[in-house]
Amino acid sequence: MSSTPAFATLALPTADWRDFYALTKPRVMTLVIFTALCGLLAAPGHIDPVLGFTAILCIAVGAGGSAALNQWWESDLDAGMKRTRQRPLPAGRMDRSSARDFGFALAGGAVITMGLAIGVLAAGFLALAIFYYAWIYTVWLKPRTPQNIVIGGGAGAFPPLIGWIAVTGHVTLMPVLLFLIIFMWTPPHFWALALFVQTDYAKVGIPMMPVVAGERSTRLQVLAYALVLLPLTLLPWWLGYTGMVYGLSALALGLVFVVLSAQVGLRRARSEGDAMKPEKRLFAYSILYLFVLFAMLVVDHFATGVGA
Amino acid sequence: MTQPLTPAELAAFRARQKSRSRALALVLVGVAVLFFAITLVKLREEVALSKQARQAGVAQAAH
Repeated sequence: MSSTPAFATLALPTADWRDFYALTKPRVMTLVIFTALCGLLAAPGHIDPVLGFTAILCIAVGAGGSAALNQWWESDLDAGMKRTRQRPLPAGRMDRSSARDFGFALAGGAVITMGLAIGVLAAGFLALAIFYYAWIYTVWLKPRTPQNIVIGGGAGAFPPLIGWIAVTGHVTLMPVLLFLIIFMWTPPHFWALALFVQTDYAKVGIPMMPVVAGERSTRLQVLAYALVLLPLTLLPWWLGYTGMVYGLSALALGLVFVVLSAQVGLRRARSEGDAMKPEKRLFAYSILYLFVLFAMLVVDHFATGVGA
Repeated sequence: MTQPLTPAELAAFRARQKSRSRALALVLVGVAVLFFAITLVKLREEVALSKQARQAGVAQAAH
């Protein structure tokens, strides 16, 4: 006979392990892990493979923890949007306190492990990245200002910086440039998405740029950020931190990014039955863009040896 | 009022509990292995550093 009374368990949904995994936003984590790994591999110097693996794991787990805290805080908003309605909390497969405890445990565990295995500086930046996403972006900026994505983009920009610091133990201009590249990449990437899901954001009262400033202004800002991003990605090459492999790749990738952004930026506001193809194309390309750009950074490091 | 679970619901509940416990056990084993490996690496680094320091001391004394 079971020791737990059957009626006592009904009020507490017991989430499956897959629900906890979903809470970490694994798809976003892919990009986090990849950019962190690229920062680690492109950094000058050497790190023991076990410590390198630990650093990447801590960054990934920290990102997962902050994603869980984000979903814990935003479960009511998520319930109101089609894109997020099936997440574990709004779908009722998990209770809020489990998500909160899981998020804090992951975040705390990742920072402590990073501090013990790698060092205080890397752990400090990881803690800052988690705080930035879970508090500054989620709690403070997102519900208050249409600039939420611009400033909040800093949260996603930390991984390559932390990966770099894990190897070198200090902050120089190059990892800051990597940070800035992701920082400037985030607004056009996210606003491309916001343009085709803006009705969802409007419904739950989140002041996303297309909802507050209107579609026309958002489109022009997408193009403006893409135009700033191009020379910024060329800076590491121009300053001699990378070689030609990265430089030419950044130029080619950036030009395509500008062209696709121009197709979105110079487009008129949507009409009835608009499939929003240019916006969807830009969103998809922006993900590929960042993957290839950072991959080229690593290829360049090993191929040319510049900055090693 | 809280309704009692049907046998099928109870079985599903137990299955979810079991899957969570298994996942947690795997994570704990992984963490233990990771900390063991980190300790080995740190020890190796310490040994290499102290060896270097000893060699530097010997070289200085020879001069």
